[in-house]
Amino acid sequence: MKINILIADDEKEFNETLSQRLEVRDISVTSVYSGKSAVAMAEKIDFDVIILDVLMPEVTGLDALKKIKNTKPLTPIIMLTGAATVENAIQGMKLGAFDFLMKPADIELLMEKIHTAHQFKQAHEERIRKAEIENILQTHGW
Amino acid sequence: METSNKKAMFFGKVTASVTHEIQNVLAIIKETSGLMEDFILMHKTNQVPDFDSKLDKCLETLKKQAYRGVSLTSNLNGFAHTPDNIQSAIDICETTKKLISITDRLFKQKNVSVEVCECTASCSITTDPVIFQMILFSCIECMIDTFQIQQLMVNIHPKENTIGICFSIGDENFQYPDFKEKIMQSSHWSKITDLCEQINFTAGMTPGSPKIFILVG
Repeated sequence: MKINILIADDEKEFNETLSQRLEVRDISVTSVYSGKSAVAMAEKIDFDVIILDVLMPEVTGLDALKKIKNTKPLTPIIMLTGAATVENAIQGMKLGAFDFLMKPADIELLMEKIHTAHQFKQAHEERIRKAEIENILQTHGW
Repeated sequence: METSNKKAMFFGKVTASVTHEIQNVLAIIKETSGLMEDFILMHKTNQVPDFDSKLDKCLETLKKQAYRGVSLTSNLNGFAHTPDNIQSAIDICETTKKLISITDRLFKQKNVSVEVCECTASCSITTDPVIFQMILFSCIECMIDTFQIQQLMVNIHPKENTIGICFSIGDENFQYPDFKEKIMQSSHWSKITDLCEQINFTAGMTPGSPKIFILVG
């Protein structure tokens, strides 16, 4: 099954081109152009990985990260920015970002980060499933 | 704070915004050329549907971004040369348009579009070009930060020996009963009046309509 990702970047042409480059690498991409739309879309769909631009109007990437982390704590989020200051990176990581990349990112490096983030999510979900099964077994004394 | 510090802060803010924009242009160019490379590589082994039109679209994007980059860098270069002389003759319309073109991203971040109405006559003045641009920028920030607006209009009216620069809210039907009070309370307003005093300009508000203006000359 294809990895399903969400990209939020207000720079429309960058967003569209990056989406196409990921699609030719067998990634399924949903594009949105604001932090607000990213939060709304993340609530509706369970994405494997989310990529957020830091600087977006109204709801910034960091605001969107906070909101998405509240509703989808397991979804790994990669922050992408053209103004990668150390402060942005630290703040994003503190807020629970999986990783941070500076624009223009190398596509192979981004692919690597997407795969790592996806594997991390899968492993995390697997651990939760096992814990739930164990809990059921213990509750019933099996 | 000293004027030289304020000038440095203003330069930092504008430069940060425009270089961010240039980085975006370069990021698009990089991704678009990468996408072309992807298509060409795929085409060698597999037939890519609409290969020619896909390449044409990429080339169109590259051309558009190259023009955008050239415009940004030439306006930034012009801006960088403004402190060369303490006093210089400037065209108010041109300077206003160029300043807005390099600071546009800062306003778009606040979801506001700023438009300069076409000037009907040439409006030149000899003044401190940096302080003049700081006044323009502060007036725009004052209107945007004080009111929840989506559009701001900048009109330049030459009249006899005076030139008026007017900043008004795009939505003319919207009512702002306490406009004057809110502007007066804004931290930007005292900054505007201080800067105007330094170069003998006058800042004011139009009674009964949500506009602020600067009188030059």
